[in-house]
Amino acid sequence: MKILILDGQPDANDVQYAGYLRQLVQRLRAGNHSVTHTIIREQSIKYCTGCWSCWWKTPGRCFVQDDSQQICADTIHADFLLFASPVIMGFPSALLKKTQDKLIPLLHPYIQIVHKECHHRKRYESYPKLGLLLQKSPDTDAEDIKIITDIYDRFSLNFRSTLDFTMTTEQPVEEVFHAINHL
Amino acid sequence: MPLIIFNGSPRGKNSNTTLLMDQFIAGYTHGNDNQAQVHYLIHTKDADKNMELFQDAENVILAFPLYTDAMPGIVKHFIEALQPLCGRSGNPRLGFVVQSGFPEPHHCRFVEAYLQKLAKRLGCEYLGTIVKGGVEGIQMMPPNMTRKLFKTFYDLGVFFAKYNAFSSELLRELTPRENMSWLRRTIFRILNLTGLTNFYWNMHLKKNNAWDKRFDRPFA
Repeated sequence: MKILILDGQPDANDVQYAGYLRQLVQRLRAGNHSVTHTIIREQSIKYCTGCWSCWWKTPGRCFVQDDSQQICADTIHADFLLFASPVIMGFPSALLKKTQDKLIPLLHPYIQIVHKECHHRKRYESYPKLGLLLQKSPDTDAEDIKIITDIYDRFSLNFRSTLDFTMTTEQPVEEVFHAINHL
Repeated sequence: MPLIIFNGSPRGKNSNTTLLMDQFIAGYTHGNDNQAQVHYLIHTKDADKNMELFQDAENVILAFPLYTDAMPGIVKHFIEALQPLCGRSGNPRLGFVVQSGFPEPHHCRFVEAYLQKLAKRLGCEYLGTIVKGGVEGIQMMPPNMTRKLFKTFYDLGVFFAKYNAFSSELLRELTPRENMSWLRRTIFRILNLTGLTNFYWNMHLKKNNAWDKRFDRPFA
């Protein structure tokens, strides 16, 4: 399986988090998965400006030539996309959210009724399944995890995919591996 | 003390969020000495300055469009700058405005839950969230199509000036239904077959000579 990990950790000095992700990547590769681990803080990505060039000037592609173009390509070729991030102020990092905003070109502006609601039409045949891996902060509680999961569940609907799990770095690497491996 | 409004639209001043908040401010300042200051979160380098404005304010409204089912990245960047203020006494009362291109308010309810928790996390009194769907395209709508919407935002500002609160009656006016009725969905499906529902996007695609490329898959 082709796996893309979008890693929204802003703190390069968090060795515990980095070690967890490194172990997960190693375990997935040992399980014969092809893994791209994209550390967003090392990428050059501009914020989305809402210009909609990606929908009406250069359909399917952001007008700005930044590293989000490669992330879009990696996303659409992946079978599984793992959003990994610490929880900061009750939500994944701004780095991750900025990158998520830049996935908008992968969808079409046209609207269709899906599950009795308006959602964007697909631009591509298929989209990767989604998972969430969160590092809790001292103030993160079960309500935060539910709120985040609900929002990413909604994102998966618009992304024409499914959110298959939300897990935290409190769980052993092997459990996260199994959750991905059994998809 | 002025009402502090943080505009979290990635389009900054040229945004639908601005159009709505301009109406709110007009109502808020009508016939009194009230003042409102608007700060644009697209200037991400101002995060520390914005944090100071936040901590010194009495009333703050954070307004933004729904982006991939949550707040835009620039708004999350701002929220992270507020982290040192968590639980501090004297934080301002905090309200939110979330607008979306989707017609159903339901899409915004999940980020609304986050915003309510955010106010609690900061130790701010939560003033509520104004939710409005179907906002994309209002910049090019004729005045008769936006009159009612703008009037409601104006009235929300008038009410806020009097009571430091969002009128629950006006909030209900903005969101009469959470989802589309069976009849409306059926009409939408029929109009979709004719292409009428895509009029806004098609007009821009044609204007930019991109109509033939509208179904491009550059990363396939």
